Amino acid sequence: MPEIPAGGSAMLWVVILFLGVSLLLYCLLAGADFGAGILEIFMGRENRRAQRDIIDRALGPVWEANHMWLILMVVILFMGFPLVYSSVSTYLHLPLTAMLIGIIARGCSFTFRHYDAVKGRSQRSYTLFFIYSSVWTPFWLGVVTGALVPGGIDPAARGYLEGYVWPWLRPFPLALGAFTVCLFAFLAAVYLIGESPPGALRRRFARRAAIASSVAVAAGGLVFWAAERDGVDLAARFMGSGAAAACVVAATFIMPVLWAVLGQQWGWAARMLAGSQVTLILGAWFVVQFPILVKMGNGRDLTFFNAHAPEATLDQLGIALIVGAVLILPALFFLLRVFKSSESPASGGH
Amino acid sequence: MQDLLAARSQMAVSLGFHIIFASIGMAMPFLMAISHYRWIRTGETVYLDLTKAWSRGVAIFFATGAVSGTALSFELGLLWPKFMEHAGPIIGMPFSWEGTAFFLEAIALGLFLYGWNRLSPWVHWGVGLTVGITGVLSGIFVVCANAWMNSPAGFDWVDGQALNIDPVRAMFNPGWKTQTLHMTLAAFEATGFAVGGIHALLLLRRPASALHREAFKIALLIGSIAALLQPLSGDRLAKGTAQRQPAKLAAMEAHFHTENGASLILGGIPDLQEKRVRYAVKLPTLLSFLAHGDFHAQVKGLEDFPEKDWPPVLIVHTAFQAMVGAGSALAALGLAFLVLSLRRSRLLLHRRFLLAAALATPLGFLALEAGWVVTEVGRQPWIIYGIMRTAEAVTPMPGLVYPFLLFTAVYFFLAAVVSWLMLRHIRAADREFPSASSAEPAGSGSPLPEGSHA
Repeated sequence: MPEIPAGGSAMLWVVILFLGVSLLLYCLLAGADFGAGILEIFMGRENRRAQRDIIDRALGPVWEANHMWLILMVVILFMGFPLVYSSVSTYLHLPLTAMLIGIIARGCSFTFRHYDAVKGRSQRSYTLFFIYSSVWTPFWLGVVTGALVPGGIDPAARGYLEGYVWPWLRPFPLALGAFTVCLFAFLAAVYLIGESPPGALRRRFARRAAIASSVAVAAGGLVFWAAERDGVDLAARFMGSGAAAACVVAATFIMPVLWAVLGQQWGWAARMLAGSQVTLILGAWFVVQFPILVKMGNGRDLTFFNAHAPEATLDQLGIALIVGAVLILPALFFLLRVFKSSESPASGGH
Repeated sequence: MQDLLAARSQMAVSLGFHIIFASIGMAMPFLMAISHYRWIRTGETVYLDLTKAWSRGVAIFFATGAVSGTALSFELGLLWPKFMEHAGPIIGMPFSWEGTAFFLEAIALGLFLYGWNRLSPWVHWGVGLTVGITGVLSGIFVVCANAWMNSPAGFDWVDGQALNIDPVRAMFNPGWKTQTLHMTLAAFEATGFAVGGIHALLLLRRPASALHREAFKIALLIGSIAALLQPLSGDRLAKGTAQRQPAKLAAMEAHFHTENGASLILGGIPDLQEKRVRYAVKLPTLLSFLAHGDFHAQVKGLEDFPEKDWPPVLIVHTAFQAMVGAGSALAALGLAFLVLSLRRSRLLLHRRFLLAAALATPLGFLALEAGWVVTEVGRQPWIIYGIMRTAEAVTPMPGLVYPFLLFTAVYFFLAAVVSWLMLRHIRAADREFPSASSAEPAGSGSPLPEGSHA
């Protein structure tokens, strides 16, 4: 593990914090937007229209704002950690391109579905694009993230496959892709309970959330299995760190509580619990990875401390992020208050 | 196809696509804000109908612009990793501010589009205006970064490494003012005339329509003002280019030989072998005046630069002519519109004038795209002018022709779908809003709520 230099610049820590928070909020907010699209696959025949309307209303006003956390991460990476941005975008060109196509397809098909002036046959095409790009995009996001871990990225690699395909076409990234899809579907399933009116529909969403949570746990198991296959001693690393182990234990103990809450169909309580679980999982992940951003095949890992931009740049980035947060957070809060509290049907619990 | 050419082509297609949506995202909120303001002030339903009709179109454009912009923020790295590795720390600053502005824009847009029944009228109006202001700020920040590629500042380049980085000086580089002004005006000009032109066409078909009449007037007002200011900003930009990027200016003008009292060349086909321009109209000493403010000043010709540092002359020259030609036509049309408006002349809605406006629909965007060709192709062979060549920056990954073909197919498909959606949108608005087909809107009945039509 690389050394953590004592007393790095304060702004570096601000930037690291914002990177972590952006990733977390992207998963919690935009992730659920993708998840809603995934869930549309499993809507069944009955009440299809009503379920789709709920998803439409839930995503419509917020998905573009939620998407912005990804932009923020990209900006932080290329301004604050330029070597990370350039290495990742060079060697993970293919999965990143796949993800971008998904982002374009998802955003456009969702908007077209809502704003097409004629609600006719074309709705079916938009929906097809929307649901499959909602699965496709988080899968590749997971693959890209996973490819940073096993050390497959190697600037010394010769040949197309060695340089640009094997770094991500291997067990761990693929498993993380699958897990990301399941995790986002789980979040959406839980959030949508609070968006639906009490009654049959709500019961149905709650039941689906319980199923989704089980699937997410299974997919999590798959990640650990794939990690071992890929030479990543993930289980040992999680257990080796007190903080990470505590996060995992806490996330596990939340499970039965969440199931009980799902049984009661308490929208807000379920949201808080599911959100905490994802936060704990990401937190544990951050702890075991820290300070490595990209594990490199040539042994020269890129870390928060060896790949950052010069001080002057970090200062400006930190200032922009802090001022940005002061402007964005109240606006975001206002947006969520306007659309997620007043009219959303009686949310139990809180 | 050569990898470098494929990468450049992919960048060109992506930027060329995105810029249309970004420009509409910058300018349309202001057009809507004018209409929205009049609705709140006068209570005439035509303005409410118009605001709603426009906002539904904008929702489609904004979403497409947001996702194509996301793609661009990745494509910079996917195609030009060496450039981003060095440029990121220097010129990331405007992007970090753009992130904030864009974020606020997305929040404000969500509030605006879905806020009709949830926000008080003036808060709702303010939110709509915020979409426009943050959109323009986003545009300015991004163009600051582009200006830096043209006039790099804020670092020392030592042995292929950037030292002594000063992000503030990089952001406020010598070119930022002129370039951002030119682009912002271009966005208003292109959007104003495109929207005004479409409504003019609809007015020709339905002369009684109050909605199309008001839309036409608002859009052309904005477009005309921008079109008249644009030559002034262009002049400033050209003078800056003459100073900082003389090779680009020479290519724009197909000016081969350094001379005093240089002529301005209109049209023509540059002949690189003979180093002269065929079939061109020459206006003596005018280029010296335009470039340096003095009829006898010396203007550097391409011969002063090694041929490996020349931008592609034919493309840059042709694009520049197209931009100036389209811009001049719009300035003339804009002047006519403003004069007729001030005199409250009935000629404003005369068939001939409407026809002229309708024919001018694509000219603003044509000029805007041509202008970007001048900026980007004119900077070649450099990605950071005088510092790093585009060929040095391209990704080492082979087979770039495939991503190029993929993105090209996606963007052409999307352009077709968006055009088709706009046609459907216009037809539906004609059915839905009474003011679209009649002169006097009937009563002040509240229009249908979002999404309940059809």
